[in-house]
Amino acid sequence: MRKYFFIIIFFILSSNVFSASEELKNKIYKNIRCIVCQGQSIYESNSDFAIDLKKLISKKLENGENEKQIYEFLISRYGDWIVYNPGLNINSLALWLLPLIIFITGGFLIFRLNSKKKK
Amino acid sequence: MAGYIGNLALFFSLIFNGFLIFSLIKGIRNNDFKNSKIINFFNNSIFFLLLISFLTLIYCFIVSDFSNVAVYQNSHTTKPLIYKISGAWGNHEGSMVLFILILSLFSFVFARTKVSEKLKFYTVFFQSILILIFLIFLILTSNPFDQMDPKPSQGLGLNPILQDPLLAIHPPFLYFGYVGFSLVFSFALAGLVTNNFDKSWSKIANFWIILPWSLLTVGIGLGSFWAYYELGWGGYWFWDPVENASLMPWLAATALIHSNIVTLKKDKLHSWTALLSIFTFIMSLLGTFLVRSGVLNSVHAFANDPYRGVYILSTILFITFFSLAIFIIKSPKKSLYGEYSFLQKDNFILINNCFLIFFLSVILVGTVYPIILDAISGKSISVGPVYYHTILAPFLFAFLFFMSHGPLISWNKEDKFLQIKNFKIFFPISIAISSVIIFWFFDYKDIILILGLLFSVYLIVSVIFDWISQKKLSLNFGRLVSHLGFGTLIFAIFVNAYLSKEINAAMKVGEEITIQEFVIKFKSINKIKKENYEEVFGNFLVTNKKKQVELTPSIRKYDQPVQFTSETSIKTNFIVDYYFAINLSEFEKDKIMVRFYYKPLMFWIWFSILLIAFGGIYQTFRLRNE
Repeated sequence: MRKYFFIIIFFILSSNVFSASEELKNKIYKNIRCIVCQGQSIYESNSDFAIDLKKLISKKLENGENEKQIYEFLISRYGDWIVYNPGLNINSLALWLLPLIIFITGGFLIFRLNSKKKK
Repeated sequence: MAGYIGNLALFFSLIFNGFLIFSLIKGIRNNDFKNSKIINFFNNSIFFLLLISFLTLIYCFIVSDFSNVAVYQNSHTTKPLIYKISGAWGNHEGSMVLFILILSLFSFVFARTKVSEKLKFYTVFFQSILILIFLIFLILTSNPFDQMDPKPSQGLGLNPILQDPLLAIHPPFLYFGYVGFSLVFSFALAGLVTNNFDKSWSKIANFWIILPWSLLTVGIGLGSFWAYYELGWGGYWFWDPVENASLMPWLAATALIHSNIVTLKKDKLHSWTALLSIFTFIMSLLGTFLVRSGVLNSVHAFANDPYRGVYILSTILFITFFSLAIFIIKSPKKSLYGEYSFLQKDNFILINNCFLIFFLSVILVGTVYPIILDAISGKSISVGPVYYHTILAPFLFAFLFFMSHGPLISWNKEDKFLQIKNFKIFFPISIAISSVIIFWFFDYKDIILILGLLFSVYLIVSVIFDWISQKKLSLNFGRLVSHLGFGTLIFAIFVNAYLSKEINAAMKVGEEITIQEFVIKFKSINKIKKENYEEVFGNFLVTNKKKQVELTPSIRKYDQPVQFTSETSIKTNFIVDYYFAINLSEFEKDKIMVRFYYKPLMFWIWFSILLIAFGGIYQTFRLRNE
C-alpha cells in the first residue's frame, strides 16, 4: 500500500516538475521577440532564428540558468528589443507612469467636482 | 476599360465633392439653409460615384484584370471567387477606397435623417472635408486603378493566411466602426460651431455613436476569432499594435456612449462629450496611420511607403489641430459640469470614464511609446503582454466593482431608498454566489485569478439582479445585455488564461505519447489536392480521462505565392476547446511538430463579444424606432 502511495506521489511530483519546466520554457519563448519575423514571439515562429534561440534557451535552462539570467544574456546580445517585457528602467519609466498620471488626474477632477457642491 | 471607368468615377467624385463644399460654404456664409436640394444632390452623387468606383475595383479583381497594379499584386486566377472579391479590400489601395466609401455612406444616410437644416449643412460640410482629404490622398499616393503596361499574364496572389472566409468580412466590419465614428465627429463639430451642443444633439448623436461602436465590436471579435483558429498558436489576443489600434477607438467610444447618457439625461457634461466625440475619431485615424504607414511591422502593413505615412500623419495632425481649435473656441459654456454627489449615477459614469480613459492611455502609450522612443533616442524596446496584464489587471478589478454598482444607483440623489434596498439584497447574494463559485471550481492559489473571478461574478450577479428588478425591460435591455456580456467575457478570459494547457511535441505516424493527463495518438496521415493548394491532414486521437476527441489538423502548401500554412482543427463542447495544429519539423524530417491546446471557455469569449455587440445593435434599432 505504502509502495503504491509513493509511486503515485512520485508520478504526481515528476509530472509537476515536467510541466513546470515546460511551462517556464513556453513562458520564456512567448516573451522573446523573433527579430526576423513580423511581430511574432519565437514561440509562434518556425523561422531558423526562432528555432536556434529556442534550442539555446532550453539548453541554458538545462544548465540551471534561471529566467532572469537568460533575459540578461539575450539583452546583452540583441538589445532591449528582444524581450517583450520592458521592465521598469530609465527607458520605460514614462511607459508605466504616464497612464497612472492620467488616472490620478481624472480621479482628482472627479473628487473636486464632488466636493464643490457642498459649498 | 473597367479600370478606366473606376478611375473616372473617382475623379468625378472629387470634383463633385468640390462643388458640394463650395455650395455648403455659400449656404453657410449667407446663413441660408433652405437650398438643401442641391446639397443632397451632390452628396448623393458622391456616394454613388464612389460606389461605382468600388464596384469597378471588385469587378477588376473578379475578372483578374492584371493590367491593374493592385489586382496584379494581390490576386491570382486560381484563387476562389470569394477571395478574389475580398482581395479588393485586402490591400492598401482597395481598403482606402472602402474607407472613403464609408465616409460618404454615413454622410449620405445622415443627410436623409430628421435633423435641423443648419446642423445638417455643417455636419455634411465637415464630413465632405474629410472625404476631400482622403480622396486626395488616395488619388495622389495610392490610386487603386493604376495601370501597368505590358499587362502581366498572371498575378502575384494574395497572402494565404488572408484567404479565409472570416477575413473577407472582418475588414468591412472594422471599417464601418472606425470610419463610422467620423459622423459623430463631424456632428460634434457642427454642434459646437452652431452652438447647438445640447440635449437634442445628444439624442441624435446617441444613434451615431452606438451603431459604429457595435460594428467595431463585431469587427474586433472577428479579427480575434480569426487569429485564434488561423494562426495556430492557441491565442486569441496578442497585444499586437494592430489589435491595440482597433481597441483604442473602441475604448474612447465606450467612454463616449456613457458620457453622452449624462448629457442626454441631465443636460450637463457637454464639453467632455464633445471632446470625446472628437477624440474617438482621432483614435480611429491614429489606428489607420499605425496600420497603414508601415511604422509597425505586422501582417496588416500591406505596403511600407514612407510618403503615405507622412501624408496620413500630417492629416491627423491637421484634423486634430483644427478640431481642437474649434472645441476650445466654441466649447459650450453653460452648466458645464453641474452638481455631483457620490452616490449618484452621473458620478459613477464619471468614474467609468476615468477608468476607460486610463485603459485607453495604457494601450496608447504602450503602442506609441516604443515608436517615439526609437525615433528620439534610437533605443528599441518591445512592449508585450506582460506590461499590459500587469498594469491593467488591478484597475480592471476596481472597474468591474464600480460597473456592478453604477447602473443600480439612481439618477436622482434624493432617491436613497432604492439604493439601500438594492445594496441590502444584492450585496449578500452576490458575495455568496461569488464565493461558492470560487471554492467549488478552483483550488488555485493565484490571487489574480481569484480576484478576476470574484469581480466578474460580482458584475454578472449585479446585472441579473438589475435585470429582474426592471419594470420596463425594453428600456434598458441593450445596456443589460452588453454589461452581462462584459462580465462573462472577463470571467471566460480569466478562466481561459489560468486553466489552459498546452503540449508541444514532435511525433511520427503511429506514435502515442502521454503528457500530463492527455494521451495523444497520431493515427494516420492523408493528402488531398485543391485548386490552389495541396493539403496534408494528420489524424489524431486525444484521450483525456474518459473523453476521446478526434482531430484532423493540416498543413497547406499554396502555389501562388508558395507558402506553407498550418490549418488548425478545433472541437468544442461549449465548455472547453480541444485545439490541434501541426507544423513541418526542421530537424527531424520523419516527424511532425504537433501543438495541442486545451482551452476552456473559448466559446464563451466569442459568445460574450456577440452579447456586447448585440446589446448595442438592439439599442440602435430602438433609437431608430423612436
